[in-house]
Order: sequence, then C-alpha cells, then structure tokens
Amino acid sequence: MTTLLATPEPQQWLLRFGDELYRFALGRVADAATAEDLVQETLVSALDALDSFRGQASERTWLFVILKRKIIDHYRRQARSPFMPLALSPDQAPEAEFFRPADGHWRPEQYPSRWEVGDEGRGDLRLEQQEFQQILQSCQQRLSPQQLAVFVLRFVEELPAEDICQELDISSSNYWVLVHRAKLYLRRCLEKNWFQAPAPRS
Amino acid sequence: MSIPSPLFNCQQATLLIERRVDEVLPLKTRVQLWTHLRLCPYCHRYAFQSPFIARQAKAAAEAKVPADVVLPLAARRRIQQVLDNHDRP
Repeated sequence: MTTLLATPEPQQWLLRFGDELYRFALGRVADAATAEDLVQETLVSALDALDSFRGQASERTWLFVILKRKIIDHYRRQARSPFMPLALSPDQAPEAEFFRPADGHWRPEQYPSRWEVGDEGRGDLRLEQQEFQQILQSCQQRLSPQQLAVFVLRFVEELPAEDICQELDISSSNYWVLVHRAKLYLRRCLEKNWFQAPAPRS
Repeated sequence: MSIPSPLFNCQQATLLIERRVDEVLPLKTRVQLWTHLRLCPYCHRYAFQSPFIARQAKAAAEAKVPADVVLPLAARRRIQQVLDNHDRP
C-alpha cells in the first residue's frame, strides 16, 4: 500500500486513517468528544508539520506517532488543571483511608482479600474478561486527574517513569505517591465491584 | 535519600512494591520488603494484585473499542472543514 518516499496526501487522511485514529484515541480517553478532538488536533498538527514528513515511515505510522503525542499532552493538561497539593498531613492524606497513620498497618476493613484470577472463571471467559475490563475502566474514571494521568501514561502508554515525571513536571517521589494511590484505589474498587460482586447470571 | 523501613509498615511496603518496578532498591530495603511480604498476607496479596491491574489496564484500553466503531459523521465533517480552512505554513 505504501511506497517508499511516498508523497503525503493530506486530503486523503480523514478518509483513510480517520476511523483507525479515532478508535485508538477512544480506547485511551474517557469520552468520544475528547477522542474526536484528538483526531482533529493530530491532523492539524500533521498538516503544519508536513515538511518534516520525509516518507521514511508510512503516513499511517507518522500520524499515529503524532496522535500518541497528543494523548500524552491531553493527560498532561488534565493533570495540571485543578492543582492539588500532594503533601498533606498524615491524617488528611488519602493513604490514611487505607493505613493507620500511627504505624502504617492496613486498617482491618481495608485488608486486601484473595482474588480468584485463575483459569476457572465464572461462566463465559471472554464475556467475563470484557466485563472485568469495563469495571476497571469505570474505576479508572474515579481517580483524581493526577492519579489517572500517571496511571495511564505508565501502564497503558507504557512511558518510562522518568519521562512521566518530566511530562507532568513532578518529582520522582511524587510520582510514586501518585502511582501508589492510584493502585490502592483501583485495587479496592475492583475488589468491591468485581471480586466480591455476585457472579453474573449465565 | 534514605528509605523508611518497610519491615513493619504496610504503607511503606506497598509503596515500595510500586517503586521496585521502576528502580533497583537498595539491598537492605529489598531484604526488609522480602521479609515483610513473607510475614504479611495482605501485602503479599497486594504484591500480586498490583501488577495484575497494570497488565489488565493495557488490555482494557485495547479491547475497549470494537473494530466496527467509526468516526461519527458530524465529527468527520467538522474536522474536514477545519483542515480545509487551515492555512498551510
């Protein structure tokens, strides 16, 4: 399909790659409107950078590189919008919900319970996987913007921790605090809404 | 920067479970964390569940959108208009 040193055809982008770019974006952000905006920003940026496209990569690959950059920018904006101080007094910190500030032990009502994640699923495995992922996604949407940003950039986009600190302009200790809080909330949310929820009717 | 001991502290231990993914912890801290995880069933569970969540997050993002989803027509028109009116540098 792609020939070497192909001339880019911007008037064909939307037709040829619009759906694919949109699906990719939609998997990574909360709503359709944001995904549409990201596709638009990607194509506009690509148009501006047309001179830098030299045909080494396919147009498609090049557009996806730009889209990934736009997704990172999106999470950076999100994380920055309502500024939330991370260093709170031990009693006010989100960790105090999970651990006793005095000695750092789990609060008994927060003890992680055993998860059955083996092969012997409850009913249809594929369906189950889908439902689990939907619950995970809805749990993710309840994280704070900063927690969501570090979580998505690290575990979905798979950026190195250092790059995330740079993108979000945070120290590495703040980065770990955010990852830790995100995981604590997600773990509890999944436990409540999936692992302890009654099995779906088959 | 010294790392507080995770030996008897679950908050520290779970934080270090996240940290060790991205960096090599000092030997002393590793031994303390290892010991904690042998003694504490809750952090032991956390240590398995946390990477499980990370793996699932990637899979969930990829699986979220069915292959037949298309860019809505209204958005397509709007974007086309923006591109048509956009001044090339």
